[in-house]
Amino acid sequence: MKLSGAFRERLRSAWTEIRENIGRSVLQALGVMLGVASVLGGFSISDSMRRHSDEAWMKRGGFDKLNVQPAGALRDRTTPSALQNANLGLRNLDAVEGERASNRAVQAVSVERFGSARVRSPFADRDRQIRGIAADYLAMNGYEVEKGRAFAAEDIEKAAPVALLGAEAVSVFFPTGEAVGQVIRIGDTPVTVVGVLKEKVFRWRESDPNVFAWRNRIIALPATLVSRRMQGDAHRRVDRVVFKVPELGLMDLFSKGLTSVLMGTHRQQEDFRLDDIAARVKKRESQGQVYNLVFMLSGILSLIGGGMVNVNIQLASLKERVREVGVKMAIGASGREVFKEFMTEALLLTSLGGLVGFAIGAVFSKVITKVLEVPLWMDPLSFVWAFALALVFGFVFAIYPAWKAARLSPMEALRYE
Amino acid sequence: MTTTDIIETRGLTKVFGSNGMAVHALRGIEMTVRRGEFVALIGPSGSGKSTLMAILGCLDSPTDGTYLLDGEPVQGLSGASLARIRNEKVGFVFQSYNLLPKANVLRNVELPLLYAGLPRKERKARAFEMLEKVGIPEKANVLPAKLSGGQRQRVAIARALANRPALLLADEPTGALDSHTGAEVLQLFADLNRQGNTVVLVTHDPKIAAMAQRRVELSDGLVVAPEERAA
Repeated sequence: MKLSGAFRERLRSAWTEIRENIGRSVLQALGVMLGVASVLGGFSISDSMRRHSDEAWMKRGGFDKLNVQPAGALRDRTTPSALQNANLGLRNLDAVEGERASNRAVQAVSVERFGSARVRSPFADRDRQIRGIAADYLAMNGYEVEKGRAFAAEDIEKAAPVALLGAEAVSVFFPTGEAVGQVIRIGDTPVTVVGVLKEKVFRWRESDPNVFAWRNRIIALPATLVSRRMQGDAHRRVDRVVFKVPELGLMDLFSKGLTSVLMGTHRQQEDFRLDDIAARVKKRESQGQVYNLVFMLSGILSLIGGGMVNVNIQLASLKERVREVGVKMAIGASGREVFKEFMTEALLLTSLGGLVGFAIGAVFSKVITKVLEVPLWMDPLSFVWAFALALVFGFVFAIYPAWKAARLSPMEALRYE
Repeated sequence: MTTTDIIETRGLTKVFGSNGMAVHALRGIEMTVRRGEFVALIGPSGSGKSTLMAILGCLDSPTDGTYLLDGEPVQGLSGASLARIRNEKVGFVFQSYNLLPKANVLRNVELPLLYAGLPRKERKARAFEMLEKVGIPEKANVLPAKLSGGQRQRVAIARALANRPALLLADEPTGALDSHTGAEVLQLFADLNRQGNTVVLVTHDPKIAAMAQRRVELSDGLVVAPEERAA
């Protein structure tokens, strides 16, 4: 017997059956539609939110960063030892050594030195945060130069008196917009503005304030300029070194290796702190999973509810079809064949219901994400999940009525009125 | 050779219910039908003829006794085996036609061929051939509801013939038809018999039974009339 041929015929009669009883079929498929819509909609909304927040992270420079900062205070409040006093703290050297230690894992490294100073221009005079930067700071933090140029390696090496201004800083200190080439005074040091940074904008919703507003306040200087020239630190200590490790799987290994390298450069004193952002990423991912689980659960519940309704309708409709089953058996359908016919019908119905569910779920996600003001993003995998769940439940709940039909006695079925 | 016998039963009994409530529908049927015979199974209602027909058609199993259909013992077979035998060896014609209302005429006739596993082309050709045999090939694509009673019964007969069964079993095939159409349908059975088909016709009407070569009369679950064999 050709399996495909028999299957095609079963599919054909199943379709006839569904089409001829369209009202009943729609009722039966309602649970599937809602279940699929719920799973698909839930997943899509949660995915859209996640993708939106991922976008925010990416704009900030990504998840894949390992921070190294000086430990704030010595843990035990005893008098620091001579060795501890002799330590120089976090330096540019740490960044270089760390990168060298595992140059395959590290894609970029940024160095920062914080400070605050009186900042003066022909238009304004303010106390502002200033930031000494080195290496790949701009790229790693998602800054782009809009006008002028970024710092050259030489600027940082020689602690050149140059500056980059964020969009907000430009509007404060140079309201005319012409900043490049102008001179501002940071404390007592005259510094030339060599570049202006592109404005960074991210809103959770279109009507929300810009999350990155503070980032546009940046006044960036070479880290060496801040530490040595402005703060008089001969050792050019820095406040933060950040390593970009694109492969999250390597993060753990890298952070262990980095610790031992830094212990070496720090005379075996752990006066630094590694901050693992990847741990935060994991937490965020598991939160997403909780949402997905909730949505999947609600989908499953509606599939179960729908499934039970389905069983009832199917059993009721079986009463009308007992005679038909009897006739089929009389002309040679085995119980197995009857079972297959009923299952085919149920699965076809589930599939059709699932397709309608896709449409409902898509509309539902579109509406909700519109309300949340988040761009809609649907993962093809969500469709697969929703459909697979529907098929599994459609299958499970179809078994009982199909089994009932299959074990009818042909004689009694034929005589059934 | 026994293989010339299509039906051969020995001590066939059927009991419904159990113990105190038991109803003995058949109480030891001894019956033989030869290949190519046209036999009428006659008896009043309650005589057990429907039960016997169900067993002869492998729709039901006897409680006891043996039954050889076309030389093959069928008592005690599994449901699936019985289904296969019904498909291959028995063609049913019912009083109420029992056509599938949602399928067109051709598909109704095709159905037993489908269960037999014939490829599509062959199915169509054979179903069409059977419709020609019963004289309504032009109705192939019509739904049963659009047909007259006589035409429906012809479709049912075509369906019964589709797998070229060893036995054509008709249960009051003219019961729902007017006398003129009924006579036509009976004539069709007679013609089919002349072409070599073995026919067993179940009826309560002696006039209809008279069409057959031989009558087997049932009463209270037993064969009463002696089997007067025609030449």
